[in-house]
Amino acid sequence: MNLIEEAVEAGKSALNEYEAKRFLAGFGVPVSRETLVPDGDGAVRAAEAIGYPVVLKAAGEKLQHKTEVGGIALNLKSEGEVREEARRLLAIPGCEALLVQEMVKGDRELVCGLTRDVQFGPCVMFGLGGIFTELIDDVVFRVAPVTAADALMMMDDIRTAKILQPFRGQPAVDREALARIIVALGKIGCECGNVREIDMNPIKIRPDGSPVAVDALVALKK
Amino acid sequence: MTNKLVPFFEPKSVAIIGASAAPGKAGNDVLVNILANGYAGKLYPVNPKGGQILGIDVYSSIASLPRDIDVAVIILPAAATVKAMRECADQGIKRFVLSSGGFAEVDAAGAQIQREIETLIQERGLNALGPNTSGHTSTPVGFTSTFFPQGKIRGGRVSYVAQTGNFGTHTLKYILTGEHFGVARVVGLGNKVDIDETDALEYLGQDPETTAILIYIESFKRPHRFLEAAREVTRRKPVVLLKSGATESGRQAAIAHTAAMASPDRIVDGMLRQAGVVRISEYSQLVLAGKALSMMPLPAGNGVSFLAPSGAMLAVLSDYCERLGLHIPPMEPANVKRLQDISPSYIRMRNPVDIWPAALSVGVEAAYRDGMEIVLQDPAVNAVVPVMMLTPETGVPDPGFIVDLHKKYPDKPILVAFSGDKGAMDQYKAALEPQGIPTYQEIEQPFAVLSIMERCYRAMNRPE
Repeated sequence: MNLIEEAVEAGKSALNEYEAKRFLAGFGVPVSRETLVPDGDGAVRAAEAIGYPVVLKAAGEKLQHKTEVGGIALNLKSEGEVREEARRLLAIPGCEALLVQEMVKGDRELVCGLTRDVQFGPCVMFGLGGIFTELIDDVVFRVAPVTAADALMMMDDIRTAKILQPFRGQPAVDREALARIIVALGKIGCECGNVREIDMNPIKIRPDGSPVAVDALVALKK
Repeated sequence: MTNKLVPFFEPKSVAIIGASAAPGKAGNDVLVNILANGYAGKLYPVNPKGGQILGIDVYSSIASLPRDIDVAVIILPAAATVKAMRECADQGIKRFVLSSGGFAEVDAAGAQIQREIETLIQERGLNALGPNTSGHTSTPVGFTSTFFPQGKIRGGRVSYVAQTGNFGTHTLKYILTGEHFGVARVVGLGNKVDIDETDALEYLGQDPETTAILIYIESFKRPHRFLEAAREVTRRKPVVLLKSGATESGRQAAIAHTAAMASPDRIVDGMLRQAGVVRISEYSQLVLAGKALSMMPLPAGNGVSFLAPSGAMLAVLSDYCERLGLHIPPMEPANVKRLQDISPSYIRMRNPVDIWPAALSVGVEAAYRDGMEIVLQDPAVNAVVPVMMLTPETGVPDPGFIVDLHKKYPDKPILVAFSGDKGAMDQYKAALEPQGIPTYQEIEQPFAVLSIMERCYRAMNRPE
């Protein structure tokens, strides 16, 4: 993968979110529609192309956990809101550009990830996502490569497996699509030695039950 | 391809290096064990003093042994082991059981000797079990390399792999003296200088004498190969595993949530799920589950029925089943009516079955026999646990009716528990277990075991 090799050669420790999603999309992972822009004008043009409401995020190599620095503005409904938040985000230390994303609807948030274990090598994680991921701590792991059957079993193994069933008037989660994301992570783990870790948190479930990664972190080999 | 462990478990000839004439010494006990088990192959004890031990001619040196003996069991101090292995290899011996301790598990000097053994194994193309192993046992050919005084080791259809000296010694001793089931093969892995858990699993997976495999392990030597081998074996045979010693060492500082949440034990959990291996958490379950796997088929689902003589037991055991993921299904109306027919009308019969009012009205044997038969016939029920209330005052029926019910319904496991008089319980255990009905002292145990067996069934029938 050129994206990865270039970033490693440039001495980066991680892809930025935009690059991370392009990389993951190359492995068939559904990601939110988004555009990387340099400034407020660009953000407004991108928002109009994507359609309101949008999400605006501070982008930068050093900004791996954006929530902690107030680097995410959700549900922006107008040009005025976009301009105002763009100004605020660009003032955050480390913010190099702005990411304009579709505002994905849906109440359910899951997490998928990749890590490298000293003994087992690349391992894939799946579980309940969102801001309480580590607090609720409802995740399971598998050793890569992961088969579709392995991935489907992971979905039954979390304590909150019921969240994948029909929920608040929304249909059941598309388990096959979710399984393809998990299998893809295992494949990346086996094929891309320069990718050290991946977090996709949250993977939101759209009102039609389909999963989409709205945030992603791809950490690179040091 | 024949598994490399086959000759260890079906040796035609065995040399005992460090055989001893002194009773109580390991080099003597191993011979006593081998003779007690009726091994029919050739035995070649080696001791510089020569003469005879237990009526067998002793060779005074390794160099004087005939060539190409299948297996050498070396019971010498660690420091003397390498030289003995080299001499054996010169005589064409390719397989070794390294029984002594004093290697990497003890100190740096021992670790150095162990590395020399590894080098020798590679250079000469040898295979070795151990060092620091409690040996191995193969009841189909009446052979054991254990030096722990076991006497005759009862044959059976389950096999054990243990990375601990505990199992092949005192746990096996308990099984032989306190239980009625036996073992097909036992492997003590020791320090795993060559043969490891994956080799053992592959061997037992293809071993026709083994129908279920139970493993105690502290670490995986080749985790990916183990996963690959287990994925295949677990479709044919239940594999139950207890893993201890999850360490936190080697974890890197993580920037990602995924890495922060990836405890080694969680990853082991996930790997075992992928492998179809049923992980257990208690040492005693190695014995409790081994007994049921020796005697009963796996339940074809999580539907359980039980018959108990007390409302408190019904309530407590129902809660316990819920926690274990066992289901107590409602029964077909016709079967509920049949249960009602053997019971006084004041008690509302259902699953689980309150059997004592029926025992008072039709007698203990008739109540348990008819009650068990009704629940065994219900299609929603996959396994049955009678909690037998036994006291001399209320009557201790001949347990033969349980054996008859198992013969009539061989596909549904029956696990027996007790309440009441200890002597009567022991009498039941002694009567039932040799006839293939497992019994349990504590009322919770059969359910814990059934949940393990049900997980085995699901693992064996998991989607491709």
